[in-house]
Formats: sequence, C-alpha cells, structure tokens
Amino acid sequence: MSDTAINSLSYLDNTGVDPAVRARLVVGDNDFHSVTDTVCGIVEQPKPPKFRWDALAASSSLTLVLFACIGYLVTTGIGVWGLQVPVGWGYAIVNFVFWVGIGHAGTLISAILFLLRQRWRTSINRFAEAMTIFAVVCAGIFPGIHVGRIWFAYWLFPIPNQMSMWPNFRSPLLWDVFAVGTYATVSLLFWYMGMIPDLASIRDRATTKLRFYIYGVLSLGWRSSNRHWHRFEFAYLLLASLATPLVLSVHSVVSFDFAVSIMPGWHTTIFPPYFVAGAIFSGFAMVVTLIIPTRKFFGLEEIITARHLENMAKIMLATGMMVGLAYSTEFFIAWYSGNTYEAFTFLNRAFGPYAWAYWTMVTCNVLVPQVFWIRKLRNKTIVLWVASILINVGMWFERFVIVVSSLSRDYLPTSWGYYRPTAIDVMTFVGSFGLFFTLFLLFVRFLPMVGMAEVKGVMPQAHLDRPGHRGHGDYHGDIAGVEVV
Amino acid sequence: MPPMKHDRETGLTYWRSLDELAQTPEFQEAVQREFPGDDWDQLPPATRRQFLKVMGASLAMAGLTACRWPKEEIVPFAHRPEGRTPGVPEHFATSMELGGAALGMVVTSFDGRPIKAEGNRLHPDSLGALTAIAQADILQLYDPDRSRRLLLREGGQQYVKGWSDFEAAAAEHFAGDGTGVAVLAGSSSSPTRAMVRDRFLEAHPNAGWYEYEPISRDNEREGTRLVFGRAFRVHPKLDEAGVVACFDADPLFDHPSSLRLAREFAAARHPESGIGARLYVAESSYSLTGVRADHRVAVPSSRVPVVLARVAHLLVAEHHIELPAAAAGYAGEAGQEISENEVHFAELLAADLAKFRGGGAILVGPRQEPAVHALAAVLNQVLDSTVGYTTDPDPDRPSHIEAIGELAAAMASGSVQTLLVLGGNPAYDAPADLRFGELLAKVPLSIHLSLYDDETSQRCIWHLPRAHGLEVWGDGAAWDGTLTMRQPLIAPLYDGRTATEVVAFAAGSKPTSGYELVRENLRSSAPAADFEGFWRRALHDGTVEGTAWDAVQPRLNPGRLAVAVDGLRALLDAGLPSADRPEVVVTADSRIWDGRFANNGWLQELPDALTKVTWDNALLMSPATARELEITDGEIAAVESGGVTVEVPTFVLPGQARSSMTLALGYGRSAAGQVGNGVGADAYQLRTARAPHVVSGATVRGTGRSYHLATTQDHFAIDTAGFKERNRRVGELVREAPLNAYLANPEVFHEHEHHPPLISLWKDQEYEGEQWGMAIDLNTCIGCNACVVACQAENNIPVVGREQVLNQREMQWIRIDRYFKTEPGLGSAEIDNADVVFQPMTCVHCENAPCEQVCPVAATQHTTDGLNAMVYNRCVGTRYCSNNCPLKVRRFNFFNYHKDPADTTKMQFNPEVTVRARGVMEKCTFCVQRIEAVRIGARNDNRPIADGEILPACAQTCPTKAITFGNLNDPKSSVSKLREEKRSYATLAELNIRPRAHYLGRLSNRADGAGPQGHGTPHGEAESHGKETA
Amino acid sequence: MNEDKSNDIFIFPKWTGVLRPAVAIGALGGLLYATVVVAFGFSPLATDVGYAPVQPVPYSHALHVGQLGMDCRYCHTGVEEAANALIPPSQTCMNCHKAVRANSEKLIPVFESYSTGMPVEWIRVHDLPDYVYFNHSAHVRRGVGCVSCHGRIDTMEVVSQQKPLSMGWCLECHRKPEQHLRPVEFVFQLDWVPEEDQLALGTRLRETHDINPPQDCNTCHR
Repeated sequence: MSDTAINSLSYLDNTGVDPAVRARLVVGDNDFHSVTDTVCGIVEQPKPPKFRWDALAASSSLTLVLFACIGYLVTTGIGVWGLQVPVGWGYAIVNFVFWVGIGHAGTLISAILFLLRQRWRTSINRFAEAMTIFAVVCAGIFPGIHVGRIWFAYWLFPIPNQMSMWPNFRSPLLWDVFAVGTYATVSLLFWYMGMIPDLASIRDRATTKLRFYIYGVLSLGWRSSNRHWHRFEFAYLLLASLATPLVLSVHSVVSFDFAVSIMPGWHTTIFPPYFVAGAIFSGFAMVVTLIIPTRKFFGLEEIITARHLENMAKIMLATGMMVGLAYSTEFFIAWYSGNTYEAFTFLNRAFGPYAWAYWTMVTCNVLVPQVFWIRKLRNKTIVLWVASILINVGMWFERFVIVVSSLSRDYLPTSWGYYRPTAIDVMTFVGSFGLFFTLFLLFVRFLPMVGMAEVKGVMPQAHLDRPGHRGHGDYHGDIAGVEVV
Repeated sequence: MPPMKHDRETGLTYWRSLDELAQTPEFQEAVQREFPGDDWDQLPPATRRQFLKVMGASLAMAGLTACRWPKEEIVPFAHRPEGRTPGVPEHFATSMELGGAALGMVVTSFDGRPIKAEGNRLHPDSLGALTAIAQADILQLYDPDRSRRLLLREGGQQYVKGWSDFEAAAAEHFAGDGTGVAVLAGSSSSPTRAMVRDRFLEAHPNAGWYEYEPISRDNEREGTRLVFGRAFRVHPKLDEAGVVACFDADPLFDHPSSLRLAREFAAARHPESGIGARLYVAESSYSLTGVRADHRVAVPSSRVPVVLARVAHLLVAEHHIELPAAAAGYAGEAGQEISENEVHFAELLAADLAKFRGGGAILVGPRQEPAVHALAAVLNQVLDSTVGYTTDPDPDRPSHIEAIGELAAAMASGSVQTLLVLGGNPAYDAPADLRFGELLAKVPLSIHLSLYDDETSQRCIWHLPRAHGLEVWGDGAAWDGTLTMRQPLIAPLYDGRTATEVVAFAAGSKPTSGYELVRENLRSSAPAADFEGFWRRALHDGTVEGTAWDAVQPRLNPGRLAVAVDGLRALLDAGLPSADRPEVVVTADSRIWDGRFANNGWLQELPDALTKVTWDNALLMSPATARELEITDGEIAAVESGGVTVEVPTFVLPGQARSSMTLALGYGRSAAGQVGNGVGADAYQLRTARAPHVVSGATVRGTGRSYHLATTQDHFAIDTAGFKERNRRVGELVREAPLNAYLANPEVFHEHEHHPPLISLWKDQEYEGEQWGMAIDLNTCIGCNACVVACQAENNIPVVGREQVLNQREMQWIRIDRYFKTEPGLGSAEIDNADVVFQPMTCVHCENAPCEQVCPVAATQHTTDGLNAMVYNRCVGTRYCSNNCPLKVRRFNFFNYHKDPADTTKMQFNPEVTVRARGVMEKCTFCVQRIEAVRIGARNDNRPIADGEILPACAQTCPTKAITFGNLNDPKSSVSKLREEKRSYATLAELNIRPRAHYLGRLSNRADGAGPQGHGTPHGEAESHGKETA
Repeated sequence: MNEDKSNDIFIFPKWTGVLRPAVAIGALGGLLYATVVVAFGFSPLATDVGYAPVQPVPYSHALHVGQLGMDCRYCHTGVEEAANALIPPSQTCMNCHKAVRANSEKLIPVFESYSTGMPVEWIRVHDLPDYVYFNHSAHVRRGVGCVSCHGRIDTMEVVSQQKPLSMGWCLECHRKPEQHLRPVEFVFQLDWVPEEDQLALGTRLRETHDINPPQDCNTCHR
C-alpha cells in the first residue's frame, strides 16, 4: 500500500449508513497478496521492535507472580486468601467467572456469527478465538487452586478407584467441570482447524528451514486443493454448529453454581440468560480492548476496519442493556416475591457495606455503554477503547457483587461478615492477567492473528469468477483497478 | 523410645496402681525418664498408637492413599493390669477447686491420659454439669508453658534446682517457732489442708497464716456477720422461689453453686411444672442472670443499694411487712434521688415479694458492701425467703482483703523474714495500692509455689512447680460442705507438688505425701470399721453422701443490726456517678476468672456471653454514656483513677447502666505464658484495698486511637440497613412469648408462620432404625458457654488465635448466638437499652440438607440414622457446603491449625475423633463417636439403645439440661416428646431444610400490670414478622 | 498461490504414511498401558497385599494355632469386647514359656520384656488408615470369621496381609455380608467350611440375626 494511503485516514472510514452502498469489509487498495503480506508480515518480522519485548517481559513476570502466589497458596493453605465463614468464595471464584465470561466472545463470533452469515466476523474471529482460549486457560486455573486440598482435586473426576467412590453428580461444581472442559476442547479444535490454511501460507512463505518445517507440521500437509477446501469448509460448519450450543451452555452451567444454591441473591432463575448476556458483553469488551491497540501497532486498520469496531460497539450496547435489564429484574422480583431475605439482600447490595462495589458495577455496565447510542462517539476509537476497559472492570465487579455481597449477609444476622481480599488475592488476580497477555503476545508473534483465508473470501476479488452474482454476498460494486494476481 | 514404654506401663496413673507404685524408686525414676523436665523437645509422645491415631488425618494428607503408611509399631503392655483393655476409655471421679469450693467431676482417661472432664452427677454443686472454666482446666494440665522445675533466683541469676535442694535450703527457716514466717495461701475448702495448716501453726505458733482470693464472697460473709453476729454461708434455693430478686448478683454464673442454681432456676421456669421464679434484676452491667430477667433495671453498682432500700421501704410502708425494731432504720424513706423506672421496678418487686412471702429470695452480689448484704439478709429473714444458711467453715478468719492488707503491712514493717506463697499470684492480683510486688523484695526468703513461673514467682527467691489438680491426691468441700475427693489421673508431669504437701513439709511433720495425708485426714472422719471400703467408695463416687454441713436457723442479732443500718445510710448518701465522674466496676472475667486461666487457649478464645469478644477484655459502656463522652465503639479509652491510667478498648453495650463502666479482671498478664501474655488490659491496677470492686470517681476519656476487638459475632454498631433488618429477624429466629399468653394460647409460637408449600426436589429418606434429633430449650438456656468448651474438648477443635478470629475463622462447632432486641423503629444511634436473647446454634442436621447436595465429592452425606455426616478424609475443601449452609455452622481449616502441637497438647486429643488437617471442612457431628460407641455396645449385647443413653458432649454438660438428644423414631423418647410440645419450632423452616434440631420457645414471666416488655416486645416483633411473610 | 511455489510446498513425505498407524497405536496403547499401571500399581492389591514384615520375635501362628490348636482369643483378648483385638502382653507368652523353651534364643526379647517391663515392639501388619475406626467386636459377634479379613493365619509361619483392606473391599462385604457370615461358634475356627452353599447359609444367618451392615460414612469415619 502506498504511504499516501496510510497518511490520509479518511478512506479508512467504512462506517457509512447509506443502505445503497455496501460497506467494504476490507478497505484501502488491498488485494489478496497485500492481505497476506500484511498479516504474515507480522509473524515473519525478523526482529520485533523493543516495545514488544518489554511487553512480553512485563507480562511474563506477572505470570511468575501468579505462579509464586499459587505456590505459596498450595504450601500454606487457603487461609492466605481473605476468605472466611460466611464468605467462603472470594476472588478465586470471581476471577473464574470473569475469565470464563471473557472466553465467550471468540466462539460466539466464530460459531454463531458464522452460522448467521455475518461476514464481518472474518477479520476478527481468529483474534477473538485466540483470546477465548487464553481466557479459558486463565479461568481453568482458579477452580483448581481454590480447593482446600488441591492434591485431591482429581476426586472431582469420575475415575474408578479403590474407595469405590463416585463424585456427587447433584453438585453444580461437577457440572462445571464438564461444561468448561468441553467448551475448552471444542474452542481449541475450532481455533486450530480454522488456522490450518493460514499456517500453510506462512509455511509457503517460509524463508528458514526451521519455520518451514514447524509450520509445515502444524499445517498438517495442507495443499489447498479443492478437496482440502471442501473438507475444511464442511468441518468448519460442523464445528460451528457444535460450538454454538456450548456458547450458551457454559455460562448457564457456571451460573448454576449460584442459582442452584439457596443463598438469597444466588437463588435466582434468571441467572443463565443473565450470565450469558454478561459473558458476551464482557467478551466483546475484551476483544475491543485488545484489538484497538493491536490493529494500530501492526497497521491492520484496513483489514480490521472502523466498521468492525462499530459493530462490536453495537453488540456491547445491546448486551449491556440486557445486563441492565437483568439487574432491574432482580430488584423487582426481590420486592415482588415478598421474600424478605431476598429483598434485604438486594437492599444490602445497593446500600449495605458493599454499596461501593455495586454502584461501580452499575456505572460501568449500564451507564457507560449508553455512549454507544451516539454514532460519533462509538466511532471514536479512543472512546470505544476506554469504554471497553470500563466495561471489563464493571463485569468483574458484577461477579464480585454477586459472589461476595450475597454471601456476606445471609440468613442469620449473627453470622454476617465482611470480606476483605488479601495482597495474595489481588496479586493472584493480577498475575492471571500476566498469563493472559503472555499467551496473547506469543500468539501475535507466531500465529496469524487474522484469518487471511476467510478475509480473502469476503473480498470482492473472491467473486470475479461469478460476475453474474452482482450485489450478492460481499461483492461491493466497483472493482475497477483491482488487478488480478 | 524407651521412656514411652514406661509410660505404657506406669501409664495407669490412677489410684489402684499409684497406691502401690507411688513410693517405689522404679516409679520415681520412670517418671523422671518419662518427663525429663528440661529437654522438652525430647519428650516422647503419649503412646504411639494414640499418637498416630490423632495424627491420622495429617498422615492422610500425604495424599498417596494407595501407598503404604509408614511402618507402624504396636507396643503392648509387658504386664497388663487386671481388667484393663487398652483403647477403652475409663472414667474416674475427681474434683477441682476454685475460690474455696470444690467442684466434683468425672474425668475420661484414655490409656492413662485424661482427655476430658465432665460433671459428677453425685456432687451437689455439679449434678453432672460442669462450667466452661472447670472443663477447660484440663488444657492447663497439658500446657507446655507450665513451670517444669524449681528455680532459685539470686543476685540476678537464675538456677535450676531440685526439691532436695529446696528442702535443704528451706529447712532452717522452718525450724524455729515461726517468728518472721508468713504463709499466704489461696482459700481452700480442703479439710486435709486445714489439718496440715493446723499442724503448721502448732509447729510454728508465731507464724502468720493469711488467705487471699482476688475474687471472693467475703462481703456476703461479712453481711451475715453484721446481722447474725457470726459468719454464715448463704445457700439460696431457686426451684422453690416464686420470685427471685438479684441486686448485682449473678447466681447463674459467679456463684460457687451456679450449676445447681441454674438447674433449679430452669426447673422453676418450666411452663407446666415450674413455680415460676419471676426474676427481678437490678445491676450495673448485663450478667447471665440479667439476660434471663423478667424485670431488669440497669443501675450503677453504687446505686443498687438505693433500689434495695426503696424495696425495703415499700415492703414496710405499703405491704405492712414487720421489720424487727433494730432494723426499723431500713424502713425509713430513703429519700435519695431515684429514677422513675427504678421506682417502678421497686414497686413491682415489693408487691411480688409480699405476694410470694415464704417463696421469694433476695440475692446480693459479691461486689456489694456487707451492709447491703445485711439488708438483704434481714429482708430474707422477715419474708421467710427460700434462702438457707450453714455456719462458715472458718468463721473467724479475716476477709481476704483484710488478710492481704495485714500481710502487706507486716512485710512493709520488715517483720516477715520468710514468706511462703502457696499458689495465687499476689504480685499481680493483690490490690494495687498495697504494692505487693515491691514488698516482696523486702522479704529475705520468699517462696512461691505455682503452676507457672508467673509475675509473683519472678519476684520471689524460690519458685516451686505446683502439681495440677488432676495430678494429685486431695479433697475439698462443696459449697454446702459435702466432702469431695480428688485423685490423680496421671503422674505429675513436671514433678510438681501440692500446697498441702509443701505446708506439710514446712510443718516438719510426717507424712508429707498427699496420698497419705488425705487418707489420714479421712480416717478421722470415716467410720472406723472397714476404712478401705469407705475409701474406695469415696474415690469411686468422688463425694461422700451426707457430709454436707447442717443447715442453721440464724437469728437476727439486734446489737449489730444498728451498725448495719448506719453502714447502709453511708452507702445511700454516696453521690450519683456521672459521665465525667463515672464508676468503674471491676469483675471476675467470664472466661479466665481472676487471670489464673489466662494461658488457657480454650478460654481465651471463648466468646464472652454478652460481648462475644475473644482474646481481650473491654471497657463496657452504655451507648448513652459513650455519646456523652464522645467515645466511639472500639476506641481505646484511658481510664484514670488514683493516679493510675489504664488504656483499654471500649465496647458499647446496650443495657449497661449509665455512667457505670465494667472492666473484667485477669488480663494484661506479663508472665502468664505464650498464650496469655499481653492479652487485654490489666484492671487490677485500678483496684485498691479500700474499693476492690467499684472504683468510683474515675475519669474516662477517648484517646482517638481505635482497636479491633476480635468478636465472633456481628457487632451492635452496624449500618442502618443491617440494623433494621437484624431487629426484624430476631423475633422470628428466637421466638419468645409471655408465659400467660402461652398458657392461654399454646399456638402463640406458630401464629406468624407463613410460607409457600414446602416441596422437595428429592425423595424423602425412610427410617427403620433410629433417627437422631435434638431439642434445644431457649427458655432454659442461660448462655453459659459450657457446651462450647465441652464440644471443643470432645472433638479436638483447634484454638486459632486472635488474628484468625478477627478474620471470622473461629472453629467452635457450637456457638451461642446473642441478639439484642430493641424497640422497633429506633436507629442504632438512639438506643441505650436492649433486651438480650441467646440461641445456641450448631449444625441442625437438616433432613433436607443444602450442603449435601452441593458437595462435588460427596464428602457430606446423609446417613441411615438421619445424621448429616461430614467425612474429613473425603473432603477436598471447595467450601461450597459452607456457602450453602443457611445457618453458617460449618467450619473450615484455612490453615493447618494443628501444625506440630506440643507433645503434651497431643496428649489431650480425643483418639476417637479424627484430628482435622488443613483444607477440610468440619462441623458438629452430634458426637457421632459417642453414638457409634453406644450403638456397637448395644448391638453386641442384642439390646435396643435406651433413651438418654447417648449424650453429646454439649447435652451432657448443660447445667440446665436445655439440650435434649435422642431417637425421633421412638415416640416415647424425651426428644420426641419435646418436639411434640407447642413451643417447639424450627429455625428457617420456610427453606424446607427440615432441621433435626428444634428449638423450644422462650417464655417471659412478667408481673401482671407491668405492661409490655421494655424493648422489642415479642408482639412488636411478631407484627413486623407478620408483615414480612404476608 | 504462486505456481512456482506450488511444487516445493511442504507435504509430509511418503514414508511418514507408515508412521500414522504407529502413532495411533502408540497413543492409544500408551494411554491404556498408563491406565492399567496406575489403576493396578497404586491399588492396595499391589501395594499392601502380601506385606509380611519381620517381627522382633519369629512367632509362628502355624505352630501355635495350626499345630497346637490354640484359640485366637487366648492372646487376642479384646477381640470380642473391644475395637482392638489386642496384641498380648509378654506376660501371656510367659504363661507357657516359663516352662516351655525356657532358654530359646528366639524368645529372648520376650524374656527381657517380661523382666524389664519394656514391651516387645511388634510390627503392625494389618494397618488401616488412622481415620478409619474399625471395631473387631462388632464383626466377630455377628459371625464374620477371622479368616475373612486375615486369611489362614493358622498356616502362616510369618503373618502376612492377605486382603487389600481397601474401602472398596470393605464395602463389598458391607453390601453383601452373606458371602462371609458363619455361625458365631465357628468364627475363630479358621479352617471351617460350611457344609451347604455359603450364600444360602449366609442369607439365612443374615435374616435370623438381622444383620444389615451400615454403609454410612460415619460407620468407619469420625
């Protein structure tokens, strides 16, 4: 692409509202080759700039903090956390739910939007899926380490044993184990399979033997033959339809951990939809948080366009409203049900010792997204970015409010308490971000962060062979000046 | 480890063997090798098997369930004694002494290790129950901080010595006629000690003998002396009392017979069979008795006499009670300024006393002046109250305060050359103005016999290790004089000796061994024929029936009465305390008494009944006073009196008398041991010989610094939302109704139950055999904490320390919930007074248990006899069960609270109960180990389990028998009957958890025309309750 | 894609084809192998059964019980009343050995113990985890023979563990006690075999004595 193109950003704006003009999904004078160049370029960069090393150093040291904390926890006991009776679950479970929630965007984008023929997903799905995997990895840590005797955690799995004991299948925690496990597996498969063609093209562009073989093995001998493509598309479709229910099931099951209990504030039937909406909400927020800087650093504005961001902003607005609705419904039901314990729990959320957490949550999750109503604002990347971060914060607090404030004041006033996290709590949480970003940085360095094959599929050039199909699919009118390679 | 084998051999340290063994050199040597004083860490564990049992859990922690345990050895007896089966517990009757009265108990011994103390059914002051303190005493036996050797302190140096050294050194000082020799002893009821004392005084006619107890009932004693001419012991009987009036008195806690009185009170309060015992209490601070009061008025201690005087006045003036001429002075219009509700209280009480003439009792607390006791005694006489008298065992001894004063004077004058201090800790607990600690320096040879190398020991030349009560032979007398035996459960761990033995030595008379002394003394009183039989019977029963002192019918002594009247006048004219000149009442602590139990973890961590504070004492202050002084709750207050300033955190307690503050003694120890050192503030510094109980005219101000008191419960001060909600829930959680309302309509406790139909998701379990259940009577529960300690001792529950309690990680399986009931609509800022109700709360073993459903590894399950079993070795510690427990009765091992305990501490563990390690959940099991033991026994003899055969530790020790346990499948079992009662209800029934432990509603017995209860009337509560589930 | 590149596209070479089954088998087989090793190798069956430590005194049950026909209860006095069967005090040995083999070297530890009062340190063979509360009397009195858990002690020169003593193994019998029930009088007779079919006998005994072993957690764990 020419420098002039980069300098004048006006052409990057594809957020037009005129229905007559189909917005381009890839802007600028990009052809297949240039897309490949841009995307693979990042991976092939011989020596990444310093700031990327710094970033990696920072995140990996945070990861060390995480493991240090875990080591201390395992050797010393759960007591190093701020937990107590009545509040038996704190940061660990909050973080778990938080990360699992984030892990929703990826599969949603790649599976559901795929089935819904939302072509604009192509530029961001790879990225989002990767993020999903890493989030689930982070999430997976917490249920593991939060048990008192981690060395017996394997008792949660139905393994035949000399005690002839089975786990208790009535327990939502057990359902969790299966739900999250399945979800992680499918997302991983999905992610990897989608990556095969792109891995192949990196292989084909390989300059060193090492890269050649590594990517060679990773791409499983992809030859981009018609037969390969046919199988690929089919498998993709299958996985997509397989993953779709999971997107909804995982967080529903996670929500059962609370909904199935009898604690006021937990024992609520709207939890499944409420949690799923929240998960998608937070997932997209995280995608946006990551993708905005990334596309800037790696000059991907032409592929991950303003329109993509806008779409995500719209989704956040929608899901944000759903979450808001859930909040108000909870309150209404608490009053309407006439259950005084329930009523007090919510009164206590809003005006009790944890009011600060509650109002942080409401501000970030309900008020902040409202800015997306205004087109100007939602198309300002900086506004979008800040908002997305605030939403992440808010969503973490949502889980905090649900878990902690409900537990801290249940039935008997004599056992009411106040939970304070310890330094270890906080460091563990921060450390999990370290792990997340480390994985993310490595991904950016070694794997194609945009699904090139799929993006190309939605570029006008992909349809030259079918001029009859004007206006159909993603063929965007004028293609003059596009030279075929 | 060779010594241990000896332990196995000589481990049977009870009378049968000690009898023969005590003298043999092998035994002495064995004990030496068994418990080598100094190389503590080399001390071998109790017995390998029991040791491994208690360490079982931690072995399991090794995790590799499939790998072999470390090689385990079996070390059988070389010679097993007759009728001894290792691993089968034995029970021995013995006793402990506190404040001059012996309390009989039965101690369970496992392979030679005493592990738990329970009450002795045959003992008049125990009746099978035991106080929290008496139960915790066993922990002190194993306290690693106990003094292990004789110490000689000379010229800044400290030398380890043996008994022979001491005897050699001391011999000459006890050679003469006793000139310059003084003995300071704690008060003791032991006839043997009296015998030895007399021998000592015979041998040393010029020696001085002084007795001092920081907490004593001397004022009552002096009071009787005032009106009857000689000292008597007062024995109230509550089960025959229609009305009981307590003036600063707490018969349910601080009376030597508190257990008996509690039992009697409970009987009197039974709605059907009880006589009623309407309880009037005028006191400065909430006592356990005050909590149960039907009419309570909070009056500064210095004003309590005014109220009593007003009652006397009304009795004469309005109810035409005749006072003897000499006592006429009492009848006169007291004329002191007196508040309206004090008058109201006095009027109601006077009316009732007149009505229940012959069936009332007026009790005055030990902190009140003799003159007040005198007035009470006079009234009790003329009203012919249910109060009995016996002659005092030692009528001529001066009061403890006088005694210590005389001794101090003697020491100051330098006339004391040799001072022998038997037990006690005068350097710490003598009246501050005597400067006893400094005076000790003036004594050339000071000897202190003590369980610990404490404050006094450190100021004395010689420190002698004292043997613990469970290690020695001895005797004592119950409050009513019943002879009470004491026998050793284990050989002295640290070669300690008893006061009796030391005095015997000082007397220079033979024999000096406790065993022989006791027998000798008993011979004198025992039937000549078949002494051995008598001896064995006495040891077996622990008490000797019919040895109580004879009741006497004392007559008023007109000559002295006048003095009493004047004494009272003086008190009545005392000024009214005000916020800027408040009175500070120093009292015995509900847990560590006078400080002697300061190093006892169980007691330090035991929540105070009212404040729920652990690991501290606090300055109790009424909310109004706190507002006046602008002191916030938890702020550190500086209490200044007589030039001494004590800094102590404030605890704002509703129901506390205005301008009257209460501070518990026994804290601020500097040489108590690892546990007790530096805990709380030392109230003794405020205590003077002149005003040992009520320090008037102190000044109290806030320091601006605040301090976190480790309470195990929600605090009174709390955000508005929470405060309102709490008040609303109380009435429904702890149901209460006036007695007559209940008799009129037994359904009163269930009137406001509304909830949707309770449908379970799961199939109900069927029960063929037993299904266990419990009934807890809130009407008789007095919140005395005995059950809490019993549970802790029985179930190897760890002590976690202040930090953990602050973090709400206390481990006690049973807790006693305390609720304040305040007038609806008042905010926490406007409250000054509040009623208090208790509710013992433990795992209620829900039939439909929320915890069971959510445990992912099925570590908590329902058993075929209805228990909610908790399997420690299966638990992985998700804490989900605790989250889902609506009563929050589950306890989690956040750390390894049993991490390398001292070897002696291990000896206390109950081998029948797994010691839980880190990361597992635990909770009340209904003492499943006791259930299983009885079940197996019964099954082996093919007989059904009898009702009441199984007693959980809490039920066993409850003084009022408020806890009943039994088989719900047997309609004739007492628990089933109680569950049938109309008072029976389940907490949180609306959740369909179907608790197996039910509660019986609380009844108040207020005087007719007294109007509704002062605060948070059940009616008011009920209404709000009605609203809430409408 | 560029034509020129297409021919040096990396494809797995032919020979890798043969690896595929190998990989598949390796993966599956390995997994299976691991499972078996862990499942069996860590089970009490492998770790505990056959444990036969050397005792300080080479006491032979084969001799005393098998040949001399001593009754179990002569030494293990607690077995009918208490939880512990009890290892006899040296005293008990001396009842006979004062006279019999009074100068055998093998017996020296016993003689020493008897004179000094120091116990003989026997090694525990049947060693349950310490959070398991097993009660001998409860089983013996119901007609569970010694042999059911300890095997043919009367034939053992050196006592060894015969049964896994694992929780699963305990439950097996608690679920189907008829497999092991025998008339109470034969409990201590190790070589006793029922004339009739064991199950028939067991079922009958179970009904007559109404024996329903509990399977509650707190039957063994407290």
